[in-house]
Amino acid sequence: MPFAVIGGQLQCLSLNHQRTTTCRRRSTRTLMRAATTAAAPQAKAPATAASSAVPAGTESQQTIQIVDGKFSDYRWINGSWNLESSAFKGKEGKVDWDLVIDAEMARRRLLEDSPIPSTNEDPVFFDTAQIPWWAWVKRFHLPEAEKANGRAAMVGYFLAYFVDSWTGAGLYDQQNSFLGKLALHLVVFAILIFRSNDSLASLKNLFDEATFYDKQWQANWLNTERPKEQD
Amino acid sequence: MPVASSKRDSLKKCQPTSRTERAGALRVCAIKDGAVLDRKLRVAVIGGGPSGACTAETLAAGGIETFLIERKLDNCKPCGGAIPLCMVDEFDIPAEIIDRKVTKMKMISPSNREVDVGKTLSETEYIGMCRREVLDAYLRDRAKANGATVYNGLFMRMEKEGPEGGYTIHFNSYEEGGKVGKPESIKVDAVVGADGANSRVAKEIDAGEYDYAIAFQERIRIPDDKMAYYMDLAEMYVGDDVSPDFYGWVFPKYDHVAVGTGTVINKSGIKQYQQATRDRSKVKTEGGKIIRVEAHPIPEHPRPRRAQNRVALVGDAAGYVTKCSGEGIYFAAKSGRMCAEAIVAGSKNGTRMVSEQDLNVYLSKFDKKYWLTYKVLDILQKVFYRSNPAREAFVEMCESEYVQRMTFDSYLYKTVVPGNPLDDAKLAFDTLGSLLRGNALRQGAKTVSFGSKQPEKVAA
Repeated sequence: MPFAVIGGQLQCLSLNHQRTTTCRRRSTRTLMRAATTAAAPQAKAPATAASSAVPAGTESQQTIQIVDGKFSDYRWINGSWNLESSAFKGKEGKVDWDLVIDAEMARRRLLEDSPIPSTNEDPVFFDTAQIPWWAWVKRFHLPEAEKANGRAAMVGYFLAYFVDSWTGAGLYDQQNSFLGKLALHLVVFAILIFRSNDSLASLKNLFDEATFYDKQWQANWLNTERPKEQD
Repeated sequence: MPVASSKRDSLKKCQPTSRTERAGALRVCAIKDGAVLDRKLRVAVIGGGPSGACTAETLAAGGIETFLIERKLDNCKPCGGAIPLCMVDEFDIPAEIIDRKVTKMKMISPSNREVDVGKTLSETEYIGMCRREVLDAYLRDRAKANGATVYNGLFMRMEKEGPEGGYTIHFNSYEEGGKVGKPESIKVDAVVGADGANSRVAKEIDAGEYDYAIAFQERIRIPDDKMAYYMDLAEMYVGDDVSPDFYGWVFPKYDHVAVGTGTVINKSGIKQYQQATRDRSKVKTEGGKIIRVEAHPIPEHPRPRRAQNRVALVGDAAGYVTKCSGEGIYFAAKSGRMCAEAIVAGSKNGTRMVSEQDLNVYLSKFDKKYWLTYKVLDILQKVFYRSNPAREAFVEMCESEYVQRMTFDSYLYKTVVPGNPLDDAKLAFDTLGSLLRGNALRQGAKTVSFGSKQPEKVAA
C-alpha cells in the first residue's frame, strides 16, 4: 500500500508547520487548552470560556464575554471576527486561522452555556465557511486521517504479504492486476468505514435510526393487505 | 335532536341477528360489504377540525348522509395556524380567513446567527396565518352547506352490532346549551375518526398509540411598534436551550404574536424551554401581555392501525404531522378529503355498503402520495436538530438561495421536487462541510463525526 504510507509521511510534513511540531496525535485536552489559551493571548482576562461569562471588569480589552446581554470581544466587530485585527495575525502578517477557530469555539461555547437574546440591532454575520477548508483539514482532520492511513498501510502490507506467499504474485504484480487494485480499494474503504471496534455498533444504530420512521409508517400494512394500484 | 331521535326509534327494530329481516325499514346492521342499500349510506365524522370538516364536506357532496360531531364549536387550538399556499387553492380558502401573509421566515441559530428565509418568494407566494377558530368554523359551515348534519356534542363511545353490523354512536349533546350534556345516540354504517391526538375513536378500534410531542404556546399582545416588526415575519429559534429536538417560534397571529416551543424527548422540561424561548426573543417581544396559554400533544408518527372494519382515522387522530416543521393542517384536511373520496367511490355515491378495503384504498393512496415528504422531513430533523453544531450548520445552509427555494417550494406546494442534480450534489457537499465544521468547533476535533456522540465535558 505505497500511497497510504506516502500519505502518512505527507501528513507529518504538513503537521510540522503547525505549532505542535510532533507528528503525534494531539489529544482533545491539549487541543482545548490550545483553544482557550490562544483565545486570550494579549488580554489577561480569564482564559476559559466558562469563567469568562463573568465580566472581567477592569480589563480594557474584553475577550469572549457577555456584557449587558450582548456578546463582546475586542476582536468581534459588526457581527464578525475582525480578521484585520493584529490578534489574529500569525507569522508574516497573515491570518492565523487556528486563532480564529479558537475564538469561534470559545464564542459558541459561551453562548451555548448562557444563551443571549437575539436582537435586530447587532446581527451575526460570521460564517464558518469564511475559514478556508485547508485550515479545517490541517487542524481537525489530519490526526484522524493519520490513524486511518497507518491502519490501512499495516493491513495492506500484511494482506500483500500473504497474497505474495500464497500465489507468488509480488507487490508489483498485485498492483498491476485488476483484482489487486480492487482489493486495494476494498481495504482502504473498509478501513474508512470500520475505524474502530464500535464502528459496527454505531453503523447498526445509524441503520436502525434511519429505518425507524419507515417501520412506524408501515405498521398499518403488517397485518393488512395493501390494495392494488388503482386510480 | 328530533331527526336523530325519530331515526333511532325506527332503528330500534334492527337487531344484530336480523340478517334475514325484510328490506324496507331503515337498517344499518348486518349488511355485507358492497351490498346495494335501499337508503343512503350513513357516516359519522367525529371531530370538526380541518380534517373532520373536510371529510364531512366531501362525503356530503358525494351523496352520503353525513353527521359531524364536534364539542367545541369555537375551539382555538394552540397551533401555529400556518397554512401552505396549495391549501388555499385546493380547498378554496377565501382571503378573509387569512389574517396575515408571512413572507419572511427568520431562523436564528444558538449563537444568534440569523438568516432570512423567503427571499426567493415571488409576489404572490406567502404562508397564510389564520386563527383556527375562524378556519375551522368556515370549513364546518361549508360541510353544512353541502348537506352534512352538524351536532354540538361530545363523542363518548360506540358499539358495533355484529361483524357486518353498523355502529351506534353515543354522544353527549350540548345543542341546548348548558354545561351538562344530554346523552344521545345515532346509528351509522361507518365512522371517520377526526378527533385529534387524544382520539377516542382510535381507542375504540384499538388503533394503538403513538409517540407525541408536547407543544406549548403563549399568545402575547405586544406594543404596536414591536408588532410592526412581526407584520409579515415569523421567527424560528433553534438551540438546546429552546428545545432539544424541535424549535421555538414566534408566529404573528391576528393582532398578537404566539411564542412557543415543543419537545418529544423531555416533556417535563417544557416550561423551562418556553422560558428560554421567551428569553431569546426578549428584546422583540418585551412589554407584552399574555392573553392565552396553551399546550397540546402533537403526534410524531401514524398509529399502528389507521382503519379497521368500517372505521378510519384521519388527521391528527391518525398521526399525520410532519417532523421538522411540525405541520399538520394541510395533511389533516387532505387526508380527510382523501378518506371521504375513497368512501364515496367505494360506496358508489352512497348506494352501496362501504368496506374495510375501501378505507384501505384511502390509506394506501395517502401513504403513496406523501410518504416521501414525511421521510425527507424526518431525515432533516434527525440530521439538523440533533445538536447545536448541527443547528448552526442548518442556519448556515439556509443562507443559500437554492436551499431556500427548495424548502419553500416543498412547504408551499407539498411536493418534493427534485432539483438540478449538480446543485443537489453541491448542496450535499456544502451540508457535509457545514456539519463537519460545526461539530469540529464544538468537540475540539475529538472525533470527526455528525454529532451522534455526546461531546465530552472538557475540564478547563
